[in-house]
Amino acid sequence: MSGFLKIAIRNLLKGPVTDPYPFGKTFIPEKLRGKLKVDASICTACGTCQEVCPSGAIYIKKENDVYVHTTWYNTCCFCGNCEFFCPTGAIKLTNDFHTANTKEEKFKFVTIAAISEKECPVCGNKFVPATLPLIEKSYPHINDEIKNLMKLCPECRKKAAFERLYQ
Amino acid sequence: MSIITRSPFLFRINTGSCNGCDVELATTAMIPRYDVERLGCRYTGSPKHADILLVTGPITARSKSYLVEVLDELPNPFVVVAVGTCPTSCGIFRDSYAIEGPLDKYVQVDVNVPGCPPRPQAIIDGVAKALEIWKQKIRNQK
Repeated sequence: MSGFLKIAIRNLLKGPVTDPYPFGKTFIPEKLRGKLKVDASICTACGTCQEVCPSGAIYIKKENDVYVHTTWYNTCCFCGNCEFFCPTGAIKLTNDFHTANTKEEKFKFVTIAAISEKECPVCGNKFVPATLPLIEKSYPHINDEIKNLMKLCPECRKKAAFERLYQ
Repeated sequence: MSIITRSPFLFRINTGSCNGCDVELATTAMIPRYDVERLGCRYTGSPKHADILLVTGPITARSKSYLVEVLDELPNPFVVVAVGTCPTSCGIFRDSYAIEGPLDKYVQVDVNVPGCPPRPQAIIDGVAKALEIWKQKIRNQK
């Protein structure tokens, strides 16, 4: 009898178990796979995410000098492949789970990131430069020489690297 | 302005779902933690009583006839909620020979809740939106 009373009093003190959402706050796990967040300053528009996406939710299109990275959530299965395979770590899944949308919003329910091309200081061609997180993966020590080569377009970089060899 | 005196009934149909979304639906409805009945709606066993239809699954060729049957039996006005990525756009099952979806082909879908599966909180969000649309539809009808 005393055991029962203990449990009854404990339950009374604890309050209702019902989650107060949508009228109040709710518990969200930190590692929950929700909407994407693309860091346009790190992304190199390589297209790996578009390739590995099993449901074809990611689409990268070039418009003038800008690569537009579009993710449509109404076909995304939140598997996290894009985050896993992203070579630069630009894509991160947030724990934002609010996905309910009405029929008017169906095709507008996207996140868009714009990756702009940069101009080569030597020849003036436009290209998307490699970013620091990508270079950090390939080289153990990064000096100013590598950082200067990063700014050149692939053709000029080739020339500069060969010139360095024969000096 | 008229006051709606009746509460909506929910009906769910599984059209070849993997049961992930069904488990989440059962969680929203059956256990006290997420309790969808707080919003003033209840599950029903018959589509003839239903006001809000919840569809899970990518509509396989086998289950298509049952879905069409249910859609015929629904009383007007009704609201359709697509629960999960599958009925919304077929997701990863798109272009399969066994899939007759997405749900848009058969009926006007009012609320989409993508996710694989969506969180119970997201389903509650979707049902709340569906309730608003259902009230609007009844007002328009009168």
